[in-house]
Amino acid sequence: MTPDRWQKVEAIFQDALDSPPQERASFLDQAFSDDDDLRSETARLIAAHDEAGNFIEQPALVEDARIILAHKLGNNIGREIGLYRIVDRLGAGGMGEVYLAEDSRLDRLVALKLLPAYFASDDERLARFQREARAASALNHPNILTIHEVGEADGVRFIATEFIDGQTIQELIARQELTLAEILDIAMQIISGLATAHAAGIVHRDIKPDNIMRRGDGLVKILDFGIAKLLEVPAHGAPSAGTAMFTETGAVVGTVGYMSPEQARGLAIDERTDIWSFGVVLYQMLTHRLPFTGATRMDTLVEILEREPLPLLPVGTDAAPELRSLVQLIEKTLRKNRDDRFQTALELQNDLKQVRQEFASAGIRNEETFAELLSKRDVAGFTAASAKTRKAPSPFVFIALGVAVLLAVAIAAAITYQNLLTPRQAERSGAAPVTSSEKVYVEMTDTERLAFIAAQEQRISTMMGDRPAKLDEEALRAIKRQIDHYVARSGSGSDTADNESLDLIYARARPYLPTIARSFAARKVPVIIGIYLPMIESAYRPCFESSIGAKGLFQFLPQTARQYDVASGELCDVEKVAPAAAHYIADHMAELGDDAESMTLVLLSYNTGATWVRGSLRQLRDSEDYERTFWMLFRNRDRLDESFRNEGAGYVPMFFAAAIIGENPRNFGLEMEPLSTLTGMNDVTTLPPRTN
Amino acid sequence: MISFSQQNVTELLTEWQQGDPAALDKLTPLIYDELRRMAHRYVRHERTGNTLQTTELVNEAYARLLGKKNYDWQSRSHFFGVIAQVMRHILIDHARRRHFAKHGGGVREVSLEHAALMTQRRAAELVALDEALAELSQFDSRKSRVVELRYFGGLSLEEAAQVLEVSLMTVRRDWRAAKAWLYRKLKESKHSDE
Repeated sequence: MTPDRWQKVEAIFQDALDSPPQERASFLDQAFSDDDDLRSETARLIAAHDEAGNFIEQPALVEDARIILAHKLGNNIGREIGLYRIVDRLGAGGMGEVYLAEDSRLDRLVALKLLPAYFASDDERLARFQREARAASALNHPNILTIHEVGEADGVRFIATEFIDGQTIQELIARQELTLAEILDIAMQIISGLATAHAAGIVHRDIKPDNIMRRGDGLVKILDFGIAKLLEVPAHGAPSAGTAMFTETGAVVGTVGYMSPEQARGLAIDERTDIWSFGVVLYQMLTHRLPFTGATRMDTLVEILEREPLPLLPVGTDAAPELRSLVQLIEKTLRKNRDDRFQTALELQNDLKQVRQEFASAGIRNEETFAELLSKRDVAGFTAASAKTRKAPSPFVFIALGVAVLLAVAIAAAITYQNLLTPRQAERSGAAPVTSSEKVYVEMTDTERLAFIAAQEQRISTMMGDRPAKLDEEALRAIKRQIDHYVARSGSGSDTADNESLDLIYARARPYLPTIARSFAARKVPVIIGIYLPMIESAYRPCFESSIGAKGLFQFLPQTARQYDVASGELCDVEKVAPAAAHYIADHMAELGDDAESMTLVLLSYNTGATWVRGSLRQLRDSEDYERTFWMLFRNRDRLDESFRNEGAGYVPMFFAAAIIGENPRNFGLEMEPLSTLTGMNDVTTLPPRTN
Repeated sequence: MISFSQQNVTELLTEWQQGDPAALDKLTPLIYDELRRMAHRYVRHERTGNTLQTTELVNEAYARLLGKKNYDWQSRSHFFGVIAQVMRHILIDHARRRHFAKHGGGVREVSLEHAALMTQRRAAELVALDEALAELSQFDSRKSRVVELRYFGGLSLEEAAQVLEVSLMTVRRDWRAAKAWLYRKLKESKHSDE
């Protein structure tokens, strides 16, 4: 089309459209009496106009919003990575998201794990992992998950493994339906896989019910060989700086229950660690509880290091003859000194076979459960061992755990914080009433919810060094909206990152909490900030990179990071970034003033920039009714810059919503220890009291 | 810690205006980030059943990108012009990658997941639209700009008129002609593909 020709066509097109539809044909005839081509061209354009309807009327943004989100926000469904196409999401593990994907070369489904950059950025570590994972896979054992490929495509590192259509042992335990025969069968299969791996010199390091699956046809698979090693962060500094704790920050938090004593102490480990962990799994399958548990991870570790397992059988009863060898077998897997355990999986396997035979000859039926077997012997269920009979941990145990800082905060947390601030304690002492504490949040009426939020907000304000302010209803409702939003998406299908359930966010958050708590406490920045900020910012993705290059758990720009001694390659290293983030916040707080509102502004500088925040603060301080409360932001938002208003108004309620939910996970039906029991959380009160 | 600063955006806009092509590369990620946020907010509102005015959404994002200080008319108008180009660049770039990944990668179509197919189709449409728009600009560059501002920049007719410094009437007529022409062009190219 030439400009000339187009001009003619368009002129008539416009005029025709402005004339009544029934006259258009004759109008065209008249206009193009000598040029049929132009006439039909114009007629087609008019027809197109009439037909076009909503074509391009909605901006591209609106149509492509989902595509943009799918691409950038981690909803990877439909995404193609190399020759795999992601079909569905299977779950999230300590080492990244797991998806169901189609392998286009072979017509098969695979489980595709996308390794977060955090783990994938260390080539050496990844290579080591690859060697190990492949070695295990190469054993070609039916009870070891087959790894198809460890690769990289489109900038993503991934592991493609056999897809297991079944349930994890964790899920099976939760259903409490495993019969004794099934348990022994599962145990036999696990030990068979372990025996083969150990014979090849491969140790799993992270045997736990989450890492073992049973297929619909009963075949048991051990997952993730080698991954535990990938997750271990090499100790910086002193060798005693516990591999255990670092591993904990990596991925096995919450699963310390399966750790062997040598693992907990950060010693070199061998296959006898797998034997211990196997023993714990077997114990748990039978009794539905762990042999070593404590209120906190630290307590659990102490139990592991120092105390005998909770008795498998009720106190004061001797094992029924047919159970005796099983009990002895488990006891032998759980000896503190590894020289006293079974020395090889093979040895254990032989004993396990023996137990099974004894069971068969004792006439135990296949469908019997362990509990039934016990009750049949006229024994009244299980009772935990009396604490009196167990000796208290000696101080050296703590030292064995490593880091001095940890020691200090752990003890402080155990003594001070727990006593003062766990909800039940607080309620009892009347320090901070928890309303409707008997009810789970979702069961509360709107009024109860508001009262609950008001009480929680006051507790958190106190923790943040702020004088509790009586919130107006508008502010409470703003928080409530956020909480309701979180709660509503709990358990719902997650089609975008934004829609992830609370459980998932927590699961991802847990590994980082101790590190963050430690770092922030060291800088005298309220730990709660370190904990919730990433939750708000990133739903706790261990390492994600925004398109402007901000990376890591905290959104550090590379140049800012450099100012805080974090090299660009370390942006995903939580151990490096968390202290730097705390330092950044401490610096800006020092500059702005050590009060709660400065802190709020510093938090907001994540999104808006420190210079600008400083200006806003000055502006605000000049205003007459400047209120020195955390809520001044919310109340004064109309005075603030427009962009600040957009960010700030949503931010503060979101912050409190995250904090309130985190303080009381059980109120939201989550099975997790309250964040207030975390190491270092007691230091939230170290902020100097405001002077006013 | 700082996602972006408003100062950067205005500086980059000036550099871009002065003909520095590298400025666009720097601007793109900043705007992409904002685009992502807009998308996020849009989808969220949609899910909760609230219809969010697109212009509201777009204006909010632009205000944040520019900062209040710089949100005066002149830079605003200029900014709209540039941001529409950048958005087009971003979306088309993304669409091309998807589009060619499909055709070049030889990946088999799998019927398990429809969303992926929709996305591919959408990518193809966007690529075709971009090409048609380039052709339109050959013989009527202003109409091509109007579409760019409206479709990729999310501007209203009034705002587009301000940016282009023409009357609202002109923009309205440009829009309907361009829309009709593009519609026919895409329909034809779709038929010739099949």
